[in-house]
Amino acid sequence: MKISRRDLLVWSAGAAAGLIVTPVPWKLLDDTSIWSQNWPWIPQPVRGPIEVKQTSCTLCPKGCGMKVKMAAGWPVGVAGLGSHPISRGALCPLGFGVHQLNWHPQRLRFVRHGSQISSWNDAGAAFAKACNEGPVVVIEGYPGRAASSVLETFSQKQNGSYRVVLGSETRALEAYEAWSGVPTSSLAYDLESAKTIVSFGAPLLDGWGTPGQFTRLWAERAAGKTNPQLRLIQLEATLSRTAARAWQWTSIPVGSESGLAAGVARVLLEERLVAAHGPMPSLTLAEAAAQTGLSTEVLRDLARTIASQTPAVAIASDDNPAVAALNVVLGSVGARGGIVRRSKRTQHYISADAELPSARALLVDASVPWDFVPKTNAEVFRFAAWDGGSSKADWLLPSPGFLEETNDIPSTPTSAIETYAVSPALTKAPHEVQSAAQFLCSLDPTFTTAEKIIHSRCEELFRARIGALQAQERTPVAKFDSAQKIDEQLSKGAIWTGGPGIPGFKCVLKEWPSVNPSDSENSSTIWPAPVLPPLATKLYRESSLREASEMRNA
Amino acid sequence: MKARYGMVIDLDRCTGCGSCMMACAAENNVPSLPQASARTGLTPMLVRRVSNGGEGTARREVFIPIMCMHCEHDTPCVKVCPQQAVEVDKATGIVMQMPQRCLGCRYCMTACPYHARYFNWWDPSWPTGMEKSLNPGVAVRMRGVVEKCNLCHARLHSAQAKAAAAGRREIDSADYVPACVESCPTAAIRFGNLADQNDPAAQEARSPEAFRLLARIGTEPKVYYKSKEAWVRALAESNSGPPSVIERAEAHNG
Amino acid sequence: MSRTTLTFGFGLAMALLVGWVAFPRALYTQKQQPLEFRHKTHAEKSGVAECNECHAVREDGAFAGIPSMEKCATCHSERIGESKAEAVLVDNFIKPGHETPWLVYARQPANVWFSHAIHLKRAALACTECHSTYGESDQVRAYEVNRISGYSRDIWGHSISRLRRAPHEGMKMSDCEDCHARRNVEVGCLGCHE
Repeated sequence: MKISRRDLLVWSAGAAAGLIVTPVPWKLLDDTSIWSQNWPWIPQPVRGPIEVKQTSCTLCPKGCGMKVKMAAGWPVGVAGLGSHPISRGALCPLGFGVHQLNWHPQRLRFVRHGSQISSWNDAGAAFAKACNEGPVVVIEGYPGRAASSVLETFSQKQNGSYRVVLGSETRALEAYEAWSGVPTSSLAYDLESAKTIVSFGAPLLDGWGTPGQFTRLWAERAAGKTNPQLRLIQLEATLSRTAARAWQWTSIPVGSESGLAAGVARVLLEERLVAAHGPMPSLTLAEAAAQTGLSTEVLRDLARTIASQTPAVAIASDDNPAVAALNVVLGSVGARGGIVRRSKRTQHYISADAELPSARALLVDASVPWDFVPKTNAEVFRFAAWDGGSSKADWLLPSPGFLEETNDIPSTPTSAIETYAVSPALTKAPHEVQSAAQFLCSLDPTFTTAEKIIHSRCEELFRARIGALQAQERTPVAKFDSAQKIDEQLSKGAIWTGGPGIPGFKCVLKEWPSVNPSDSENSSTIWPAPVLPPLATKLYRESSLREASEMRNA
Repeated sequence: MKARYGMVIDLDRCTGCGSCMMACAAENNVPSLPQASARTGLTPMLVRRVSNGGEGTARREVFIPIMCMHCEHDTPCVKVCPQQAVEVDKATGIVMQMPQRCLGCRYCMTACPYHARYFNWWDPSWPTGMEKSLNPGVAVRMRGVVEKCNLCHARLHSAQAKAAAAGRREIDSADYVPACVESCPTAAIRFGNLADQNDPAAQEARSPEAFRLLARIGTEPKVYYKSKEAWVRALAESNSGPPSVIERAEAHNG
Repeated sequence: MSRTTLTFGFGLAMALLVGWVAFPRALYTQKQQPLEFRHKTHAEKSGVAECNECHAVREDGAFAGIPSMEKCATCHSERIGESKAEAVLVDNFIKPGHETPWLVYARQPANVWFSHAIHLKRAALACTECHSTYGESDQVRAYEVNRISGYSRDIWGHSISRLRRAPHEGMKMSDCEDCHARRNVEVGCLGCHE
C-alpha cells in the first residue's frame, strides 16, 4: 500500500485534531512562557535569611553610622544609622552603593611588582630588605585608628617618619594650631551652637564634614525659613548646591576669599560690631572692594549682617589664614558656636603635603587617596583595595575592602563630639588581602595587632568611666561591669560618645596674617577610593544631576 | 483598611545630593550599564535641577525629585496598558507595575505625563560576583519590560509579614519606609498615608505651600511638593512652556 | 470505514497517545535530592512533632523554608544514628560547612511573594492544606522537574490535565486565585507580586 500525499495530510489533520484535545499545546504554551521569562543568564540575588547588622562605614574618615543588610554572608543593602550622634542616619550618596565596591572590576586582586604579578612573600621580603637599608616614611590617610597605631609604632621603631594626608576640612583649621598651640586634629567646629555660618566656598551642604551632621542641623533650623535661627551665608563664585539653598549667597571671584575676609574684619573692627579685639588687616576697604568686585557698601552690609546674629563662625574651604583671622576678630576661636577643641587631645600630625624627608621606601596606607602623588624616588609600597590606574607605586598590595576586616572608627574630623566605634569584619574577601597594619604585624610578630589594640581601647574606655554607649538606648559607661561587655556592644554597632567640644582655650594673633592660602595639590579625603560604586557612575551618566567632571571610571 | 500612600517632598530642603537616586537604584537592583545614557537609562527616582532662568546673581535653582506620582484618578498608564500589567492597588493606592507581565509596547511611557516610566532596553548585567550584592527582596527584570517606582513595595511586604508574624493586622509604619525616604539627609521626602488625617505627611499635603506637578490635568497624583518660594510653586502650573531644566550637553552622552 | 477515516483516526490515536502518555513522561525529568531525609523518623525518634519546629516563621516575618544546615547541626553535629543518609549529611555538608542543596518542590519565580507568616497566622491555614501529609512521609519524594520551565512538577500538579487533582495539588497563580476567591480575600496584584 503506497502512502500518498493525501494520506499524510489526512493523518496530519487527525493528529492536529487529536493534539488539541491533549495537554500538549496548552502545557507547552504555559511552559514556554515561563521559560521565556526566566532566562538563565539573568543574575539572581543570593538566597538566605536576612540579618541587619549595625556598623560604621570605613571608606573614609567620616565614619558614618550604617545599617548593613546581610544575606548568606554577603552585604546586600546599606542604609544610614539613625541613632548615630554625628551622622544621624545620613550617608553620602556614594555610600549607598558601597556594598558593590568589593566586586568592582578594578578591585586589586594580586600583589603587583611594577607590571608583574608577584606574591605576598616577595613583597614582604622586599619590604624587610628596604627597612634594613634605610628609613621608611609611612603615609596615612585615616589617623587615629588602631591600625594607625600599628603604623606609628612601626615608624618609631624604625626611626622613620609618619605623615598624614589631611582632608580640606581639617586643613582649614591648621592656622589655629600656630596661634593656640592646640593640635589641628583636636580642633573642631561647634556648629550646634552657631547662629551665623559664613562659608567661604566650603560645600557645607554638599559633601563637607560628616554627611548628616550639618545637613540635618541646617534642615531643622534653616531650610525654607525666612528668619532662620541658623543663617547660612555662602560666599562663592558660582551658584553651587550650598549657595542655591543658603540664606544668602554673595558671589565673589575665586581667589578673593582672603580679601573679603580682610574687608569684613576691617568693618567689624572699625564699626565696633564685635567685642573681641583682633588684629586690623592691612588691606583697606577700598582694596577689599576692588579684589572682591563688591562695593564698599555691600561689604559693610555683609559685616553688619554677620555681626547681627551671633555666635558667628567663618568656615574656609581649605587652609586660609585670612579666614582664620576673621574668626579671631569675630571672637569665635575657643568659643561656643565657633572653633572648640575636643576633650581628648590628639597629637600633632605632620602633613604629607609638606616635603617628605629622604627615605629608602614609602609605605602608603590604603586610606590615602589614590591621587596623592608622593614626590619621591624611594621604593613605594602602596596598599589599596582598588586599582586607580597609572600609579607611581613599585608595589601594589591588595587591601581589604568594605566590611572585610575589623576596624575601629575614631572621632570624625571637624566634629566637636568625641566618638568611638568598631566596624567588625562581616564578609570575606574574595582573594588574599592584607592591610598595611596586618602586613607589618606579619613581618614583626612583636607588634601588637590592630585587633588587640581595639580590645585595649575598650579597656581604657571602661576604666575612664566617661561618656555613654549609644545603641537602641543610651547607656552610660559607668553602668557597664566589664570591658568585655563594652567590646561586645561596640561590635554590634553601638557608638561610644564622649564629651562635647570644649571652648575657652586661648588664641593669640598679633598681626593680620600675610601668608597666602596654601594651594594643596592633593585633594581632600572625601572619597579616597579611586573608583566609584557602579550605581554612582550610572547616576551621573543617566541624569544631569552632577557635572561630568565628577565622573570616574566604573 | 484602605490606605493611600503618598509623599510630600520639601523642595526647600532638597540639596540635590542624589542619595535618594542611589538608594532607590540599590534597593531595586537597577543595573549600571555602560551603554545607557540619559535617554535610555533607568532611574525610577530622578532628581532634576531646575533654574528660574535668571543669570548671575538673579539666578535661583531648585532640585526636584521625580518618580512615579501614583496617580489616583484616571491613571493614564493603567488606562492604556493592553496587558493589565499595572493597576492601582485598592488597599494601598500604590500604582503597582508588574514588569513580568509587561510585553514592552511602551504605550504607558507615552501616556505618563511625568515621564516617570523607564524601559529595560538591555538585559541587566553586573561585573562578576557583583550579583551577590543584589537585594534579595526585589525580582531582577529582563530586557523588554517597563518599570517604575512602586513605592518600595518589597518593604511593604516585609512590614506586612513582620506584622503577621507578631499577630498584628496593621503594619507598624516604622517598618515601611521607602528607600528614598530613608536615605534623604535633610529629611526632605516625607512619606505616609494621605488618607489618614493624623498622618504628618497627610497634614503637610494640606498645607498652603504644598502643590502637585501638573495638577490641572486631573490625575490626582499622590506625590506632593512643598516650597516657600513662589517661583518654585509657579513652575508646577507653568503654562508658558517647560521650565529651564538644566541638562548636561548631549555631546557628553555620546 | 474509508481509507480517509482510518488514516484520520490513526493520526488522532497517535496524537492522543503521544499527548496523554508520552508527553507527560518526556516533559519531566527526575533529580535526586542530596540525601534521603525521612520526616517520619524525625517525628518518631526525636520528638520533632510539629512542622514549625524546623519550618518556622522568623521574627521578621520571613519563613525559614527548608531548615539551614545550622539547624540540622543542632542535633547532627556528629552522627547520632546508623543511616547512610545521616552519614551523607554530616560528612558532606555539616562538617565542611556547606548548605545542603535541597531541591525545593514549591519554588516559585522571583517575582512571586508568598508570605507564610500571613497565611499561617492571619489565615490560620494548616500546613497540610498546601503541603499535604508530606510531613509524615517515610521517604523523600522524587523531585520531578519540568524540562522546559525549570520548575517542579508540584507547581502544575501531578496530573497533566489538572483534572482529578488532590485539593492541595498545584501552586500556579490560578490556584492561589481560586483559594482567595473561595475565602473572599481580595489582594490585588500588589498582594502577591514582588
